Amino acid sequence: MFDQLSLNILDIGMNSLAAGATVLRITVIENAEHDWLVIRIRDNGHGMDQKTLREILARNASTKAGRKKPIGLGLALLRQTSEMCGGAFHVHSAPGEGTGVTASMRASHVDRPPLGDLNATIFALCAANPTVDIQLNCESNGEKFHFSSQEGKYHEPRRTQEAQREGTAAGRAA
Amino acid sequence: MNLDELKKLKEKAQRQVALREGNKKYRVVFSMGTSGIAAGAREIMTTMLDEIDKRGIENVEVAVTGEIGLVDAEPVIRIEERSGEKVTYAKVNADAARKIVSEHLQKGKVVDGLAVGKVKQKEAERLK
Ligand SMILES: Nc1ncnc2c1ncn2[C@@H]1O[C@H](COP(=O)(O)OP(=O)(O)O)[C@@H](O)[C@H]1O
Ligand SMILES: [Mg+2]
Repeated sequence: MFDQLSLNILDIGMNSLAAGATVLRITVIENAEHDWLVIRIRDNGHGMDQKTLREILARNASTKAGRKKPIGLGLALLRQTSEMCGGAFHVHSAPGEGTGVTASMRASHVDRPPLGDLNATIFALCAANPTVDIQLNCESNGEKFHFSSQEGKYHEPRRTQEAQREGTAAGRAA
Repeated sequence: MNLDELKKLKEKAQRQVALREGNKKYRVVFSMGTSGIAAGAREIMTTMLDEIDKRGIENVEVAVTGEIGLVDAEPVIRIEERSGEKVTYAKVNADAARKIVSEHLQKGKVVDGLAVGKVKQKEAERLK
């Protein structure tokens, strides 16, 4: 159904937004040497109790109202992909604490979909709820970067920001 | 993915915050559940927001919903006017997305060939 893992990430991230998360952290770790790709989506939304979580994982259940059949596909699709690609799938959740979804797979597995346009996924999540802190942590074969949609949001207009930065740099140099 | 691209992304994301604020004339609701995403909702959203940005349209706010109730017709978007009028567009492709921005959001004209009939619309609203 999804030909890019970044679409799975968007779909799982939408669950987090629906759960009222204010922080959504997406981690993508690629390690060629050990042949792993790990995707983690962690939120601080309302979470699920163990009984609900077990039921959802056992029957691909959904709690969405207004459906003819209370079947959810999002978690099931990511689980299928990760298990098909020699990895494991794990959901950790607690009421009031949030939810973490981890999917690993063999990076070189023939069936592994490409990550695709991760930028477009981050952008869509930001647009879906601009007040949520959407974070992206990427670790690709030793190279790392971090993105946060809320970083700098409460700063002054750019000119002031630049002046401040210069000031700080000058301060440090002195 | 490089840092420049990410920076641009962040600026764009911040403009989206501006799009959210205030009592806008139009609210564009994207269907972003599993079936919507599978049908291409992410690209439709990006295309529309780019076009809104490019045209400097400011009377629009955006929102997403998990299920709009028209699984066979995805990608689906709904435009809600402050007056209460709602128009649902189905099977939206990139061209249609740009046309909806230039005609509906900019000129206030419903794009007839793309809007779904009232019956389907009622069905969608009931399931919302
Ligand atoms: N991050 C989350 N926080 C709280 N509940 C969640 C989260 N992710 C999934 N769920 C629960 O699991 C159910 C199944 O999710 P999913 O497989 O994505 O299907 P759907 O979103 O279509 O219901 C959801 O309806 C929701 O009740
Ligand atoms: Mg879902």
